[in-house]
Amino acid sequence: MTDLLIIGAGLTGLFAACTAARAGLNVRVIAQGAGTTHWHAGTIDLLGYLPDGRQPVANWMQALGRLPPAHPYRLLGAASIANALDAFQQLAAAAGLPYERVAATIDPHRPSAPPQPTDREDDSRGHFTDIAPGRNGQLISPVGAGRPVFLAPQAQLAASLEDERPFLIIGFNGMTDFYPALIAENLRRQGRAARSAMLPLSRLTSRHDHNTIQLARLLDQPAAQEKLIEMVSDTAATGERIGLPAVLGLKTHTRLLAKLHQACSARDRRNTLPGPALQSPLSLFEIPTLPPSVPGMRLDASLRAQLTRLRVRVEIGMKVCGVRAAGRRIEWIETETGSRPLRHTARNYLLATGGILGGGIRGDRCGRVRETVFDLPLTAPQTRSQWLRPLFLDKRGHPVFQGGVPVDTRFRPLGRDGAPVYDNLWAAGSVLAHTDPIRERSREGIAISTGFAAAHSVAKGQ
Amino acid sequence: MKRIQTEILVIGGGATGTGVAWDAALRGFQTVLVEKRDLTHGTTGRYHGLLHSGARYVLKDADSAVECIRENRILRRTHAHCIEDTGGFFIVTPEDEDDYPDRFAAACRRLDIPCDEIPASTALRREPLLNPGVSRVFELPDAAADSFLAAHATAQAARQAGALLLPYHELTGLHLSGGDGNRAVSAAAVLDTVTGEELRIDADLVINAAGAWCGQVAALAGVEVNMILGKGVMLATNARLTNTVINRCKMPGDGDILVPIHTVSVIGTTDQQVSDPENLSIEQWEIDLMLTEGDKLVPGLSRSRILRAWAGVRPLYHEPPSSHESIHRPAPHPDRRASRLEAKPASPASRDATRALALLDHRQRDGLSGFITITGGKWTTFRLMAESAVDAACAQLGVSRPCHTAETPVPGVEQGHYWLGHRLDEVESENRQSELICECELVTRSMLEGAAQRNPTVTLDDLRRDVRLGMGPCQGGFCTYRAVGVLHQLRSDETATDAADWKVAHMQSPAHHHRDGGPPADGGPAEPAPAAQPEPRRPSPAIDPAAAVSQPNLLLRDFLQERWKGVVPILWGDQLRQERLDELIYLSILNADHLPADERQSPLSEFYRSGFSYPGSRLT
Repeated sequence: MTDLLIIGAGLTGLFAACTAARAGLNVRVIAQGAGTTHWHAGTIDLLGYLPDGRQPVANWMQALGRLPPAHPYRLLGAASIANALDAFQQLAAAAGLPYERVAATIDPHRPSAPPQPTDREDDSRGHFTDIAPGRNGQLISPVGAGRPVFLAPQAQLAASLEDERPFLIIGFNGMTDFYPALIAENLRRQGRAARSAMLPLSRLTSRHDHNTIQLARLLDQPAAQEKLIEMVSDTAATGERIGLPAVLGLKTHTRLLAKLHQACSARDRRNTLPGPALQSPLSLFEIPTLPPSVPGMRLDASLRAQLTRLRVRVEIGMKVCGVRAAGRRIEWIETETGSRPLRHTARNYLLATGGILGGGIRGDRCGRVRETVFDLPLTAPQTRSQWLRPLFLDKRGHPVFQGGVPVDTRFRPLGRDGAPVYDNLWAAGSVLAHTDPIRERSREGIAISTGFAAAHSVAKGQ
Repeated sequence: MKRIQTEILVIGGGATGTGVAWDAALRGFQTVLVEKRDLTHGTTGRYHGLLHSGARYVLKDADSAVECIRENRILRRTHAHCIEDTGGFFIVTPEDEDDYPDRFAAACRRLDIPCDEIPASTALRREPLLNPGVSRVFELPDAAADSFLAAHATAQAARQAGALLLPYHELTGLHLSGGDGNRAVSAAAVLDTVTGEELRIDADLVINAAGAWCGQVAALAGVEVNMILGKGVMLATNARLTNTVINRCKMPGDGDILVPIHTVSVIGTTDQQVSDPENLSIEQWEIDLMLTEGDKLVPGLSRSRILRAWAGVRPLYHEPPSSHESIHRPAPHPDRRASRLEAKPASPASRDATRALALLDHRQRDGLSGFITITGGKWTTFRLMAESAVDAACAQLGVSRPCHTAETPVPGVEQGHYWLGHRLDEVESENRQSELICECELVTRSMLEGAAQRNPTVTLDDLRRDVRLGMGPCQGGFCTYRAVGVLHQLRSDETATDAADWKVAHMQSPAHHHRDGGPPADGGPAEPAPAAQPEPRRPSPAIDPAAAVSQPNLLLRDFLQERWKGVVPILWGDQLRQERLDELIYLSILNADHLPADERQSPLSEFYRSGFSYPGSRLT
């Protein structure tokens, strides 16, 4: 029998599935669609902004106390969040997609010269030991703003704004989702040295109109890679960090980045570092793009690969259409098929369906906001006039996106009486109440830490 | 201070104002037009897009009905490419009163409006989504009109005839000369809202064509023009529900018109009297009413995905009874004369105010020469309004010059009606490749670049009116960022702009670009022209679009807010989810709320901010 049936295949559901499977549970994942990981930047954002803050959060651990008391992070505490992140980093590294601290990558006290190689690897790590735990770094957004990020895949690390090396942002003529001149101008406005360059896409392909996924698939091919390396190394000057749109391949991007780094380093006479590359800090980095996001797809693929190794099935195309509860237990759920409902029975159920974007919550014309699987009580305002503010970019966010499922410290959904609704139902991720993950820039932090905690709560009960 | 000397100064850049400028310039007058924002920013850009057959007003407002059918026939020639000949149905639903349809048909016959009753089954075959309970259906020559394109085409015709059009120039004062008995308006003080520069325009005659703002403009000349401002709320669905204009066959009321226009259907409208033409709120009950009434035309309309809600203001004029005689109308149709005898009681309710045009000659009305107000009317009658205004101008200036607009097609007519598929067709037939910036409305990079180079562009909203950027289901989610990037690139590459060089014919399609030089005589394949090649430059008028466009972060914020303003009243279900995706893009990925120069403002930032209060607004 299934110990844990997870509904939702986003970052929350997949990471919770890995966690539970490693804790020895028999796990299955079902979901209506692929989740929103494919739309996000592929970084792990812990807490970028507080509701009242114009300034980015410098250290999320120190800022937890300023969150509302019922915020999922307050339920967890800094230590639990850090444990979950460690587990995530181990998992991602095992999957071949290592994530590292953005703030730790560059020592801000080091002079702005290009990084000098050292013989002893330990030494270079020594620079970083005094980086406070919980300190965020800043990466570059595709419009040139700083994005407060905690962990990033290696391909994005060299974008750190703490590093003072000048930027060269390279784009492609013919690519609609990336504008290097705009990025460079906004970087200059923030006091960074930056310039931009455009490469002709026509040298890589004869197609005219390319989206990010098509470009990434193209750059998985060795011939296109060779041409790209040639063009980039011809364009770059000594000591520059090179930012490219995040399209450097869906499968082989680490190798391509290493080759690019090597090619650029070889031209740089002052840089005595011989290969192999991929030794931080790289001189190249990727900048995330509009959805669909190649870094998001890589993260999703890595987690899925780990789940395959852990023998966890992930089934997409399963829309829940029926639920049976008896007393304080969920007995089964049913999903739609072409003929009759398909019944799924498990000891425990984890709701990881996401918020309004993921489809876990839906608002209707009459102002009702509902949780779409179990119709759980929500904290969302149930009047349309209370949903939205007059300014789109209002830093306080829109109340309708802040409502969700309230939970206890074990992540069991609470009823109106404040007690858990069911003994075998758990909830994690963006479906939770008292957080606005997109406004806070906490989406991945919430997904990983609550998914981890909910999976462990289930495991403890077994 | 810069000074301009002209014969005729037109205030207002909507359908009426551009029409007046066109008419006056064609008659050989030196003409300048000022508009405080972009062309069509007022009611012209905020209506449902119906070219009236006049049938809607046959029983209530015969003056207006007669004007409408006459102009309907003229505009189909002069503005052919702006009009989609959808035809119109007047349907009798189970709720509509019994004797109205017969009186309606009789009145249509009396006023010479073609009206054929067709079997309900035929109507249902042609429009399968129509209310199956319809008992009778009348077919009339209603049509769908693209008011953005029409105003731009009229403006281009005016420019070609020698008029100078100045958008983003706000009238701040009118200079009066002479003493008692021979007072006259002699000049206007104008503010360039982009550069902040002041301008004095000396004019022999000022024509007030400011639509809903007519009262404010008249007040600057010290005369009272009491406008009745009727706010109408409209909703756009994400697809065309019908291909025919659908009207309820009853006395005009709320939510009884459904107009298919380009890719959407527009349901309209409400009628609420307001005092301020700028700050229009949309109330939840108005949305609900539109959807409930819409269901009677097309059952299920209320469950379709609504893209946007907006409000426009009808600039209606009702002369106080005492000065009734000073309203002048062009040569009345015999029937109209008859109908005017059934004098309507003076009523302030905007639904009951006449839709017929009102020409106020202030020399006769107020003893103030050099000043004429043209107001009232419908979009359908804008050409006639222009004609009567310029006729009155001729009379005041003591010249006799006949009107030519009824026989003169505007530029672009030869292209025929534009529809979304044209863009694909041109890409295929002419192998014209360009990157897609807006997937919903098929706006390519070269179209965007062409429009931005040729027209004054202060905000992305101006480009939206030119090329329909951001008007589709994602409401700017993807294209806002891309358009900002493209414009920034364009402005970084070039320092000068071509603001003087309006080319409306090029707005709709990249392929139209080289057609301007004249298609090959044999009709064979045209040689591909480089996309978005700049036209030869002429000196720019006072507006300096680069000033605003060089602020990409501001363009981005302004357009996001402008789009938000129109979706807030209709966000639920899938469209609410769509907005959350937009939040993901602009907050999580772009961090657009923490860009440098956070405090900068465009001439329109404040408008996007305060011009709206959403349903039952209780949040700030």
